[in-house]
Amino acid sequence: MFDIFFVQQLVNGLSVGFIYALMAIGFTLIFGVLNVVNFAHGEIYMIGAYAGWLSITIFAPPLFVVILIALAIGALAGFSLERIAFRPFRRFRDEASLKSKAMREATLLSSLAISIIVREVAEKIFGSNMQTIPQDYLLLTPIEIGPLSFASGQFLIFGLSIVMLGGLQWLLKRTRVGLAIRAVANNPMGATYVGINTERTIIATFVIGSTLGATAGLVVGLYQGAIFPAMGFAPGIKAFVAMVMGGLSSIGGAVVCALILGVAEAVTTSFFAQGWGDLVAYVFLIITLIFFPTGLFGGGRERV
Amino acid sequence: MNALLEIKGLQVRMGEQTILDGVSLHVPTGGIVTVLGSNGVGKTTLMRAVSGVYRSTAGSIHFDGSDISRWPSHRIVAAGLAQAPEGRQIFSSMTVAENLRIGAVGLSPDEQAEEQEKQLARFPILRARYRQQAGTLSGGEQQMLCIARALMCRPKLLLMDEPSLGLAPKVVRAIFDLISLIRTEGHSVLLVEQNARAALRVADYAYVMDGGRIAIEGSSTELANDARVRAAYLGGHAS
Repeated sequence: MFDIFFVQQLVNGLSVGFIYALMAIGFTLIFGVLNVVNFAHGEIYMIGAYAGWLSITIFAPPLFVVILIALAIGALAGFSLERIAFRPFRRFRDEASLKSKAMREATLLSSLAISIIVREVAEKIFGSNMQTIPQDYLLLTPIEIGPLSFASGQFLIFGLSIVMLGGLQWLLKRTRVGLAIRAVANNPMGATYVGINTERTIIATFVIGSTLGATAGLVVGLYQGAIFPAMGFAPGIKAFVAMVMGGLSSIGGAVVCALILGVAEAVTTSFFAQGWGDLVAYVFLIITLIFFPTGLFGGGRERV
Repeated sequence: MNALLEIKGLQVRMGEQTILDGVSLHVPTGGIVTVLGSNGVGKTTLMRAVSGVYRSTAGSIHFDGSDISRWPSHRIVAAGLAQAPEGRQIFSSMTVAENLRIGAVGLSPDEQAEEQEKQLARFPILRARYRQQAGTLSGGEQQMLCIARALMCRPKLLLMDEPSLGLAPKVVRAIFDLISLIRTEGHSVLLVEQNARAALRVADYAYVMDGGRIAIEGSSTELANDARVRAAYLGGHAS
């Protein structure tokens, strides 16, 4: 018989894993299309949380309106990020320069710069202290199922993640913009020949990825009640590790690895002290890079 | 002369190099025109410039009455100029069905279904491979997918860049038969080929490129009998 404490930790780990998954998808989508890492993704997460917190403290709307606001702000942030940190470096349109090393390094630094600026500005405006969510919105209502105890926030995380992951699958497989995103990721040169608007597709990728990232930030804010300017850093690293483990451009791989990572962290903290949890991601990263350089689900195709 | 595509003095420079140096050619409505020449004379650059993948540095490209030389490639495709590019450039990690669906630019769902049915009837092998990943197809099948994908948007003009490259003789014959057939369906064709003999057989008019310029031009029969062309590209003896 399973120890009930273990099952509890498993569920906790999964809910953390889903948060990593939502973030990792943003990384993966952008990496797939542009072959670059978006270092400002953690700040999108932070912006999502602040958007939720601000809308709650200013006019206290119902929960689903808070979610919609965070989605919209996330989309807007993704759009602006692409405009400011990525578009200016994309002067040539052939595949060689679209995915070149110079392009990668330039946008790596520009997105890092944006990330620092956004974080500092947030600190200047709101202070570096943690903002607290009013009690009514805090999703910590305990829900007992048998001997297990969950917070309502965990259900929100599960529900929202599954809806968004399903929606993403639908979008990528069934809609024109989704097909375009996959086409550009698969073969940017071929995409120009069949008349795909590459610029618009890149914007769509940033908007979708950032919407997912902002949602992740919002639900964590509502669930853990801790909103501060640097909150995006740790989950950003974890999501990045999940992307690398998943094989860089595999969405399914990134989601599975994010869940594994979340559960592994939860299990680790239940056997060791809390501080050891963060070590898990780095150990996984090193093991992946040494033994599975193309990722666990990379299909043997090196893209970097 | 009713020209569907009219290129005048086209120049493409990349850094210090001039790849195309004043190329002029035209494709009449309903015509099949071929561009011959050996490797590295600028044939593929020409095709890319027409499709808007490369920017021209001088000259004009008029298609169907408008100057498209500054248009982005998606606008050019939407105007009815599609290309089956060199190296096929299919979406290897996507299914045959998805490749065809991406090709259907600007079609309503009904038109798309109708057009797809037409292409699948033309290439039965694609129907058999419909749900398969395009990367698992053989070279000939990928070429057929590439042509079918380009035809999905019902182009007025189809550009084909080396469609016979690396294919078995039987498949090459099928592809050239197809080019003649496409014309009867109302598509004009601009064909770049290394296989000069086969290209001259299907085309009405031909240009021979050398060093980024048009070296020789004439009707296909004229060129097939031209001593220089025979010696350089047809492997025959100058008579």
